[in-house]
Amino acid sequence: MKTMNTSFQQMLAEVPPCIQQEVDLELAISNRIYDLMTERGLSKMEFAQALGKRPCEVTKWLSGQHNFTIRTLSLLSAFFGESLVHV
Amino acid sequence: MSEAELLLVNETKHCTLYTIQFLSENDSEFEQFYNKFKDDVEFNPDLMRIVGFIGKIADFGALERYFRPEGKMNDRVVALPVVQSKLRLYCLRLSDKILILGNGGVKNTKTYEESRELSGYVLTLQNFDKLIKEGVKNGTIIVTENKIETDNTFDL
Repeated sequence: MKTMNTSFQQMLAEVPPCIQQEVDLELAISNRIYDLMTERGLSKMEFAQALGKRPCEVTKWLSGQHNFTIRTLSLLSAFFGESLVHV
Repeated sequence: MSEAELLLVNETKHCTLYTIQFLSENDSEFEQFYNKFKDDVEFNPDLMRIVGFIGKIADFGALERYFRPEGKMNDRVVALPVVQSKLRLYCLRLSDKILILGNGGVKNTKTYEESRELSGYVLTLQNFDKLIKEGVKNGTIIVTENKIETDNTFDL
């Protein structure tokens, strides 16, 4: 099969380090939330209800593309009983 | 109708990325999307986020929760990003391990159907999805766990 003319690695190399860092962090936090949610046997709906949030909010958190605020991270860390971000 | 073929974009053990190339065009669908916004002051940061995110899909797979469902119930068209942005990249998500990148643009209407440009990109992917399903049925296309095997050209 033929490959695309422009190398995908070349496209990736154009991503500024600050944006890549943002993408990496958002995805890492999202994946951790998903793991903790499933470890506790919670569905998206149950998780949302337990936090008093709408399911669409949880959808955003789990998308890997959400720009989390400190307030949301604190809420989630308190809910799971462990810090989601280590400084 | 225009003839098109499938091109390989990137492959890792977690996900193989493809795009569609119309034979009448110089660039593939994904390259057209990239080239449209790479020098756009307003949308370049959102484009870079999308490209960076696709790069991470190579590590984690094209998981369903990473995408915005688009298209119809019976197709596999999805979009990036899920979060607030006017930029949309349309894709065909066959599984966690196979993703076809399409074209996209700025969504200034409430639904993609209201935009002639965006609905055209979605329609291309919907038609491509139908042809893949037909090809798999008649044996001219093989879809393995993480690959699409075909030398077909497609009439889109």
